[in-house]
Amino acid sequence: MKSYLVSKGDFLELIDGMIENGKEVVAPVKQENQANFKRIKSTKDILWSGPQTVISPKGFVFPQEEELIEYEVEDGIWVGSKVEAKSTVLLGIHPCDINGIALLDKVFAEKNLDENYLKKRESATIIGVECLTPCSPESFCYRKGSVLPWDGFDLFLTDVGDDFFVEVGSEAGKTLISGISRKTIQSDAKKLKKIREKRDNLFAKKQRKLKPKLEELPKLLKENYDSPIWDERGAKCFGCGSCNMVCPTCYCFDVRDCVEINLKKGSRSRFWDGCMLTDFTRIASGEIFREERGARLRHRTNRKDFYLFEKWGRTFCTGCGRCGKACLTKIVDPLDIENELYGRKGRR
Amino acid sequence: MTVYKPEIAKIKKVEQLTKTERLFDIELLSGKSLDHQPGQFVEVYVFGVGEAPISISSEPSKQPTFQLCVRAVGNVTNALHNKRAGEKIGIRGPYGKGFEYEYFIGKDILFIAGGLGLAPLRSFIRAVLNSRGDYGKVYILYGARRPQELLFRDELKEWEARKDVEYHATVDVGDETWQGNVGVITTLFPDIRFDPRKTQAIIIGPPVMYRFVINELKNRRVPDENIWISLERKMKCGVGKCGHCQINNVYVCQEGPVFNYKQIKSLPEAI
Repeated sequence: MKSYLVSKGDFLELIDGMIENGKEVVAPVKQENQANFKRIKSTKDILWSGPQTVISPKGFVFPQEEELIEYEVEDGIWVGSKVEAKSTVLLGIHPCDINGIALLDKVFAEKNLDENYLKKRESATIIGVECLTPCSPESFCYRKGSVLPWDGFDLFLTDVGDDFFVEVGSEAGKTLISGISRKTIQSDAKKLKKIREKRDNLFAKKQRKLKPKLEELPKLLKENYDSPIWDERGAKCFGCGSCNMVCPTCYCFDVRDCVEINLKKGSRSRFWDGCMLTDFTRIASGEIFREERGARLRHRTNRKDFYLFEKWGRTFCTGCGRCGKACLTKIVDPLDIENELYGRKGRR
Repeated sequence: MTVYKPEIAKIKKVEQLTKTERLFDIELLSGKSLDHQPGQFVEVYVFGVGEAPISISSEPSKQPTFQLCVRAVGNVTNALHNKRAGEKIGIRGPYGKGFEYEYFIGKDILFIAGGLGLAPLRSFIRAVLNSRGDYGKVYILYGARRPQELLFRDELKEWEARKDVEYHATVDVGDETWQGNVGVITTLFPDIRFDPRKTQAIIIGPPVMYRFVINELKNRRVPDENIWISLERKMKCGVGKCGHCQINNVYVCQEGPVFNYKQIKSLPEAI
């Protein structure tokens, strides 16, 4: 799609105007000493360049808790689907998280459509922003080819001084800035190219290296299915599931019932679940199909860079680095695991 | 109507099969047929308690009624056991891939059921016996822990009496009522003669049973592609999203629960 220039002042005024008109705008803001996505009252609150938010913005399209059905049991039984969505602007989304949402788009729209997700997704306008410096020592987005969005944004902003260079990803995005956008000329594209070259160099220098080639990760993980690494790292794992919770591409969920005290009304809701938790594969008879923590770590890593990578032709780890940061025993970071597997292979 | 909304169904009849298993006749209030394949499952919803994946025990039919054989083992199945005829539950499905029984037409079939594995297998057995002429030889091997735990006892007698079915049963632990074979299911194998090339072996039972039975079949030179199994996993959403039933890269609720052995023998997490 096309690109435009928009002055920063005009853009912020546009967003502030939307907020004044009651539009829900969500952006990274400071919370305690950390960053978090929250509804903002003014663009002044936005953290444009870090620190990285503790959790990804996926909760705005795939909430941590979400009602799926509601029911009433009186004389008869009534059951209704519950699909709720609020028009929301997700602003200041980094490429790793845009790509995370783009991947969720694929899985929830595959075959049996998940309308609960899709409706929320349709109602969200995603305005991304390019990262010009790494947001955390744990991030490795550059190594996962995820410093720019693959898909799934309405607008994507790059700070080029007084202006934002804006890539348009959808008709809705184009319409949004139609009143303030200016055409780009060749020198703007050149300027952008320079900024990105500088960014690439900086990220290449600062971010940890991925030793195997990105496209060879499925093969590496396949060959190392029985590697002792899984049990070695698994022995240190607390099975807390933090890595699942902070991940922009983890989408497994549990479903639970909630009954009102009169026992006549109730609902079923889904909640984020995590494959690193013991109960994830526990069935009623007590059997746990993936009981070893090492086997669960392998499953999680394989989902990111083997199973789903092979299926969709793209890594399901966008290199945000949140899991590595959240992990209490520092065993879960996919880049670390993959480098170790690659290193051991070389020594053999 | 989303994929997560159950259809309302009525329990028509409840029959106690053993101490822990009951057979439920269930009818969709819509009057529609479930239109299932043998081996498929439904998500049964007990309002206020939750859902459980239960395989369908009755043969495919155009009628709105179908049967589920349920062991009381967890929250949902225990709550279901407290339900009486006339009460309502929710049903989603049928889900997963079952047996495409047209494929088996003209072939010899060796059914091998262990314990509650007879519940899903009965659907296929009944479909085959209902059009018996379409198939070659039919063998049924069934094993349970104790004689009192044998399911569908009236039907077992019918199968035993039929001249066109070779039926063998065994129990792990016998008692004074039991005249038949005692031992695990593989102890029945020396009694049967079948043509390994022409026979399709269909196994459903507890996870531990598969390895032993498959070994036995391999000893008898049954090729991998003639072996079919149904795998139990934690099917939760039924629509390939929630992740709980995954075996390596395979979502059991989508690509299973019925698998050809050739298809899954390379999956380390499968058996």
